[in-house]
Amino acid sequence: MKALQWQGVNKLAVGDVPDPQLRNPGDIIVKVRRTVTCGSDLHLLGGYIPFMEKGDVLGHEFLGEVVEVGPEVRRHRVGDRVVVSSFISCGKCWFCEQELYSLCDNGNTNPAITETLWGQAPGGCFGYSHAMGGNPGSHAEYIRVPFADVGAFPVPGEVSDERALFASDAAATGWMGADLGGVKPGDVVAVWGAGGVGQMAARAAMLLGAERVIVIDRLDNRLQQVEKYIGAETLNFERTDVALELRERSGGRGPDVCIEAVGMEAAGKGPQYAYDQLKQQLRLQSDRPVAVREAVHACRKGGSVFVLGVYAGFVDKFPLGALMNKGVTMRGAQMHGQRYIPMLLDRMARGELVTEHLATHVMPLAEAPEGYRIFKEKEDNCVRAVFVP
Amino acid sequence: MRISGKALLTAGAAAAGAVTATRIAAARRSSTQAAGRRHVITVNRAFDEAGTGRLPAPLAELGEAVEIRRQPAPGGRGTEISARARSGKVSDGDIRRALREARSELEVGYVLLPGGPTTEPTPLNKPLREATAHGREGGLL
Repeated sequence: MKALQWQGVNKLAVGDVPDPQLRNPGDIIVKVRRTVTCGSDLHLLGGYIPFMEKGDVLGHEFLGEVVEVGPEVRRHRVGDRVVVSSFISCGKCWFCEQELYSLCDNGNTNPAITETLWGQAPGGCFGYSHAMGGNPGSHAEYIRVPFADVGAFPVPGEVSDERALFASDAAATGWMGADLGGVKPGDVVAVWGAGGVGQMAARAAMLLGAERVIVIDRLDNRLQQVEKYIGAETLNFERTDVALELRERSGGRGPDVCIEAVGMEAAGKGPQYAYDQLKQQLRLQSDRPVAVREAVHACRKGGSVFVLGVYAGFVDKFPLGALMNKGVTMRGAQMHGQRYIPMLLDRMARGELVTEHLATHVMPLAEAPEGYRIFKEKEDNCVRAVFVP
Repeated sequence: MRISGKALLTAGAAAAGAVTATRIAAARRSSTQAAGRRHVITVNRAFDEAGTGRLPAPLAELGEAVEIRRQPAPGGRGTEISARARSGKVSDGDIRRALREARSELEVGYVLLPGGPTTEPTPLNKPLREATAHGREGGLL
């Protein structure tokens, strides 16, 4: 079959790989109908997460049709249209029982890498390096889905492929940030990043009752999407002082909940950004925490910061003093999609959550390398590139 | 990015990956580096189910080469299973793999197998391939 393969730092190509096979009794094989780029893929593409091998298949956010089921699969049949959580979780371990699905004990076949790096290993993910299990990704014609009864969900007939696709990761991740960040009715919420995840986090905060939601970015086209499709307020950090503006818009208190949806390659301005760039390029720090620093500093006393953006290792100049002395709660996670996807599909069916606008570029899988180039360069106002195998 | 930047990025990524992979390989090979240290997992199964009776196959296969203990985890969080090498016949990596696979068998009923492969060896990814060929043997467990 055809698949998009990582060939080296900033090199992608569509090539031929073996068709996936059922390997465990809980597996299904899915014929991919839609698969989409994610900002976190750029960390892999650019070599910031150094656990890729030449030939790895990218992609973790997808939807498709079941074409084969393993003997222990109970919830799916051939022909079902399913959306699949990007994280691979067994549903049986203690973490899955707590609905902390991305922390699954049994979903990563290479726990040694992340356990060595981080102390404990999270679960596995599709198309997200050998640190996350080395599972072939979804930018392919077919994909094997382990633990399918736990991680694949039937799509209601009234929800289109184009909308349901983003339940796989962006919408679930965004919802998790608002939910576990503790958004309550009446809150002021600030979201750093107006990409797919940031927009979904903002919408989640609104649906959870936040009174004021403010999304921060530098790209006007994305901020316009926030205003038009999400209904939140916006701030362009290149044209205003974010800290002062947030203080003003929150009655001098600071946002109750700050959600960071940017990640390790954060853009910024000024000497702090130059410092982070230099240290990252010299591998003196692995990640650029520009948005996290700003969120901790802006957050109200006793508020919370939730980190949704992907970080791999170590950061410098972290404002621990602000965190401690202001009594801020900081939390982060890879996404616990299985916890939210059914609810998100229901909300999509009711029209409460729209996502189609994120797919600014739709193209055949054969054009995926060009799709990633456009996505990476944010050319032609690209927010997400969707591939149709 | 300029050529020099690209080269720096590639070299940096390869170096970081190689360092981690080397640490993993060293941890896998070392045998009883801290003599008498127990490797422990917690299984999300009640002690009545996982703490008595026959051991899961991955642990049973190690036979007399390891000493195994099972006890209830605090707070009703399942069963703790620990293993320690009796001699140098079993490496720490063997014990880690057996414990992780035993947990999967007890909780899920089987051990997740990797997908693929879709990759090819290169000089740059050699350390990573060596580490992932023994993915359940390294780490801190």
